[in-house]
Amino acid sequence: MKSRHFSMDALGDAIARLPDDRLTAIRNAAFAHLREHGLPTKRDEDWKYTDLAPLVDIGNQWLDLGDDVTPQADSSDVSDPIQKSIDADWLLISNGQVDANSIAALAQDGVTVELLSKHDSTANFSAPLTDLNSALLRDGLRITVDANHSIKRPIGILVVDIAATAASLSQIRADVIVGANSTLDLIEYHASSGEGEHYANSVINLTLEDNARANWVRIQDRDRAHNQTGRTAVTLGRDSQFHHCAFDFGGRLIRNDLAVDIAEPGSAAVFDGLYLAGEDQHIDNHTRVDHRVGPATSQQEYRGVLTANARCVWNGKAIVHEGADGTDAEQANHNLLLSDKAEIDAKPELEIYTDDVKCSHGTTVGQLDETSLFYLRTRGIDIVGAKQILTTAFAQTIVSKLPVESPRESLAELVSARLSRMLEAVVK
Amino acid sequence: MLEINNLKATIGTTEILRGLSLSVKAGEVHAIMGPNGSGKSTLAQVIAGHADYEVTDGTVTYKGSNLLELEPEERAREGIFLSFQYPVEIAGVNNAYLLKASMNAKRKHQGLEEIDAFEFLKLAKEKMALLGMDPKFLNRGVNEGFSGGEKKRNEILQMAMLEPSLAILDETDSGLDIDALRAVAEGVNSLRTPERAIILVTHYQRLLDYIEPDFVHVLSEGRIVRSGDKSLALQLEEKGYDWVREAATG
Ligand SMILES: Nc1ncnc2c1ncn2[C@@H]1O[C@H](COP(=O)(O)OP(=O)(O)OP(=O)(O)O)[C@@H](O)[C@H]1O
Ligand SMILES: [Mg+2]
Repeated sequence: MKSRHFSMDALGDAIARLPDDRLTAIRNAAFAHLREHGLPTKRDEDWKYTDLAPLVDIGNQWLDLGDDVTPQADSSDVSDPIQKSIDADWLLISNGQVDANSIAALAQDGVTVELLSKHDSTANFSAPLTDLNSALLRDGLRITVDANHSIKRPIGILVVDIAATAASLSQIRADVIVGANSTLDLIEYHASSGEGEHYANSVINLTLEDNARANWVRIQDRDRAHNQTGRTAVTLGRDSQFHHCAFDFGGRLIRNDLAVDIAEPGSAAVFDGLYLAGEDQHIDNHTRVDHRVGPATSQQEYRGVLTANARCVWNGKAIVHEGADGTDAEQANHNLLLSDKAEIDAKPELEIYTDDVKCSHGTTVGQLDETSLFYLRTRGIDIVGAKQILTTAFAQTIVSKLPVESPRESLAELVSARLSRMLEAVVK
Repeated sequence: MLEINNLKATIGTTEILRGLSLSVKAGEVHAIMGPNGSGKSTLAQVIAGHADYEVTDGTVTYKGSNLLELEPEERAREGIFLSFQYPVEIAGVNNAYLLKASMNAKRKHQGLEEIDAFEFLKLAKEKMALLGMDPKFLNRGVNEGFSGGEKKRNEILQMAMLEPSLAILDETDSGLDIDALRAVAEGVNSLRTPERAIILVTHYQRLLDYIEPDFVHVLSEGRIVRSGDKSLALQLEEKGYDWVREAATG
């Protein structure tokens, strides 16, 4: 029987077994907060379609094992050729443990990478899953780009989980600050393997100082039996620019939250996303942008291809607060539903509390165009090939928007490989 | 090459082809004319394998086998090519990519290796020069934003690259300027060999000045009501379709 709550005593024991360091205070504070408020359930509006119960269940099984130290995988365990082909300075977090060697190896002028435990952190109770992350955090990354500095090579964060035990849980955390007038290109890559059940919970806190720019690519290609929740919280300084491009290929239950806070005028936020979901996959993307001041722009386009009994959610919320004049917010979500059993819940939400704004949104859910399919077939392309060509073109729109060059080819490959597997499964 | 016997085809509940017979031998060029809505495109689409049309009676034999049993892609690989009356725009799919994929699908079927990238490009540029097409069209989306005439030329480019045994051109001449018409005609004539056959669907005698047909047929209300040599096209130009209809019924 699946439980909706963590076994708090066991959780407390697991936290107590973590090293006593500069993170102890926030672990305890977060635990207390979690204990009081719990995790969201399907009764919460934002969690209507995504049930955390199976993930809590994995967590409880892991706690039962009393095995707080999962063996650390080194990067040689990572046999992901696609990730390896992406040019970046890669930092490694495996089974929730930061690989110190990868930190030491990173030598870029103007970039400082440290363990989170090197500094005192202040707890922020912005989200229940952030509480869970802080409470069970072994350690995380802290990346700082100095002011007036543009990095020369993208920084990569490779997150790998090897599920060796029956059930395991990992917490991934990176706090990133991009200094004034600086640029950061970052690629976040999530992979997993192993026979056991796994749940990874990731938290990224990103701060852009004035006139800074971050180009951020998130690629999630976990084992189809593993699960992930992830929250990326971004604060935009004056005249800063943020471009987030997210790709979800793998996983069984995936929930991503992207929250962008525009507290200073002049900034521009772009978020693009692509989810390709097949048999038994559940992929939920929630985005939220708070326009607290204007002028500022936010633009988002998410696309999805669903086959078999895939279930996806896209919820894009834009809140234009009182006084945020000169806001321009755009949202788009397009889906190809290639099976009767697949389901998408697409919901744009605009809340506008000021007059001088320009907002638009559009969502579409459709099938492949029959005329185009026939045309391709009369050119000798078989039906799977024709579907592959049309879905790839649909998905490629997002790849073509990538703000960082180095993953482009690898992503194009991932997209067509994933789509062909999804489409072949349909034919069988 | 192609034997159509008493073909009847419906879409929904409407019967469009009502007992059509036509015999096309290798080396021949047939022109099919006929009023709007008479079923010319339907015939072309049925031969290409469009699933919306249901064949309710009759037979279609291609190179000695039952064509109606084959999927559209199998028909294409066996050498049937349809130049669409309304070529389809496929946004985001590279024109060169589709050309290469089509050629390779056919080559694979023939047990040949994939075409070499360099060979492909050379061949494509050669054919494009012949058709007066800018090589830039290779890197655009398939028919994406092409003008009417550019789409028609692109169909002929595909045909020239695929070298079909049986080419069906559905009003490929409509919307072409004089130079394009000449270029397209040259493209078609260069395919005219003793092993191949061509069916031209057209409304205009003008095309037939450039591509001389061996036979001209008039399609009316889903049936071929008259067949003749190229002089039939001239008579039609002069007298209109009523003349054939009357002759057919009278
Ligand atoms: N989906 C459909 N439902 C009903 N009728 C259809 C459908 N598609 C075609 N038709 C009808 O079938 C008939 C034949 O159409 P077809 O396109 O074959 O004519 P055509 O001879 O090619 O005409 P044109 O010279 O105008 O190109 C027309 O009357 C048309 O309206
Ligand atoms: Mg027609």
